Amino acid sequence: MASNPMQQFTVHRIGPEIKIAGIDLSFTNASLFMVISASIVLLFLFLGSKEKKIIPSKIQYVAELFYTFVAKMISDTAGSKAKPYFPFIFSLFMFVLLCNMVGMIPYSFTVTSHIIVTLIMALFIFIAVTIIGFFKHGLKYLSIFVPSGVPKVLLPLITIIEIISYLSRPVSLSVRLFANMMAGHTMLKVFGGFVVSLGILGGWLPLSFSVALTGLEILVAFLQAYVFAILTCIYLNDALNLHH
Amino acid sequence: MKSLLGLLIVLAPINIELNAAEAGMPQLDPTYWASQAFWLILVFSILYISISKFYLPKIKDNLDNRENKIKEDLENANKYKEESELKLKEYESILVNAKKEVSKIYFDSKNILDKDIQSKKESVEKEIEKEILKAQKEITELKKNSLTSIQNISQNIASNIIEKLTGDKLNDSSIRAAVEETSKKSLSKYL
Repeated sequence: MASNPMQQFTVHRIGPEIKIAGIDLSFTNASLFMVISASIVLLFLFLGSKEKKIIPSKIQYVAELFYTFVAKMISDTAGSKAKPYFPFIFSLFMFVLLCNMVGMIPYSFTVTSHIIVTLIMALFIFIAVTIIGFFKHGLKYLSIFVPSGVPKVLLPLITIIEIISYLSRPVSLSVRLFANMMAGHTMLKVFGGFVVSLGILGGWLPLSFSVALTGLEILVAFLQAYVFAILTCIYLNDALNLHH
Repeated sequence: MKSLLGLLIVLAPINIELNAAEAGMPQLDPTYWASQAFWLILVFSILYISISKFYLPKIKDNLDNRENKIKEDLENANKYKEESELKLKEYESILVNAKKEVSKIYFDSKNILDKDIQSKKESVEKEIEKEILKAQKEITELKKNSLTSIQNISQNIASNIIEKLTGDKLNDSSIRAAVEETSKKSLSKYL
C-alpha cells in the first residue's frame, strides 16, 4: 500500500511511449484525467442543451444555472466589453471545476494539483490579457503601472511595485490553485494514513477529521475554480477598461 | 488550515515510511511536463472549441427563447386583460341600459293599464248611473200607477163601507171626489 502522501501525485505513462522530436508526449494518468474531466463537461453540456424546453429539465436547468452564473460573474467584474471572452472563461471555469471535483474521487488523479498545468493556464491568461491590453489601448496600456493621485516622490517606487505585482500575476494565479489542491489532498492522505496506523481504537478521531476535510475539500475545489475564473475576469477587466 | 498543515509537516515523517525514490514533490519532476502541457493544450482546445461553437450558443438560444416566450406571454396576458376589461365595461353599460329599458317598459305598461282601468271604471259608473236612473223612473211610474189603483181601491172600499153603514148607494162621482180630496191631503205624506 502506498503510504507516502505525495505518491498520489506521481505521473506515470499509460500505453505506448509517444516521442515527437525527442520530447516525451506520452499519454499519462494526468492526460487521462484531463480527458475524463473534459468529457464530463462536454457530456453535461450536451445533455443540458439537448432538449429545448421552455420549462427546463433538471440537467438543462443546472447547465443554464452554470451559464448564468459565469455570465453574471463576467458582467459584474469585467463589464459588457468582456462578452467575447465568455466562452473562454466558461470553459476555463468548467474545466478547472471538474478537474478539482474529479480529483476528490478516491484513487483518482487531480490534474490541477500539478504546478505545470496551472502555470500553463495562468501564463496563457497572463500573455493573452497583456496582448489584449496592448491591442486595445496601444502604449497607453503601460499607464496601468502608474496609478493616478500618487505623490511624485513615491511614483517611481509605486511603479516598480505595480510592475512586480503585474508580473507576479501568473505565479500567484497558478500557485494558489496548485498549492490549495496539493495541500488538501496531502492532508486527506495523511489523515487517512493516521486512521490505518492508529487502528480500530484510536482511528476514529482522524477518521472524523477525514470526513470533515472531505467536505472542506469539496468546498475548496469549487472555490478555487471560482477564484481562478474571477481573477481571470479581473485581469481581463484591467486590460479592457483602463481606469486610472 | 495552517495549524493542520504544521501538524502534517511535523507528523508526516514519523508515521509514514518515506520511499527514497518517491520523496519530495512529484510535481517538480520534469519528466512528464512536456506531456502534461501538450495534453492540457490539446484537451482544453477541444473543450473550448466545442463549448464555444456548439453548447454555449444552444444554451443561449434556449435562454433567449424562454425570455422571449415569457415576454410574449406577458404581453398577451396584458392584451387579453385589457380586452376583458373592455368587454366588462361593455357588459356593464348593456346591463345599465337594459335596466333603464325595463323600468321604462314597466312604467309605460303601468300607465297604459291605469288608463285602461280608469276608462273602464268610468264607463261602468256611467252604466250604473243609467241603471239607477232607469230604476228610479220605474219606481216613480210604479208609484203613480199605484196611486190610481189605491184611489180606485179606496173608492170601492169607501162606497162599500157607506153602503153597508147607511144602506144607501151614493153615486160614484161624489165618492171619487171625496176620495181624491182626502188622498190629496194624506198621500203627500207617503209620496
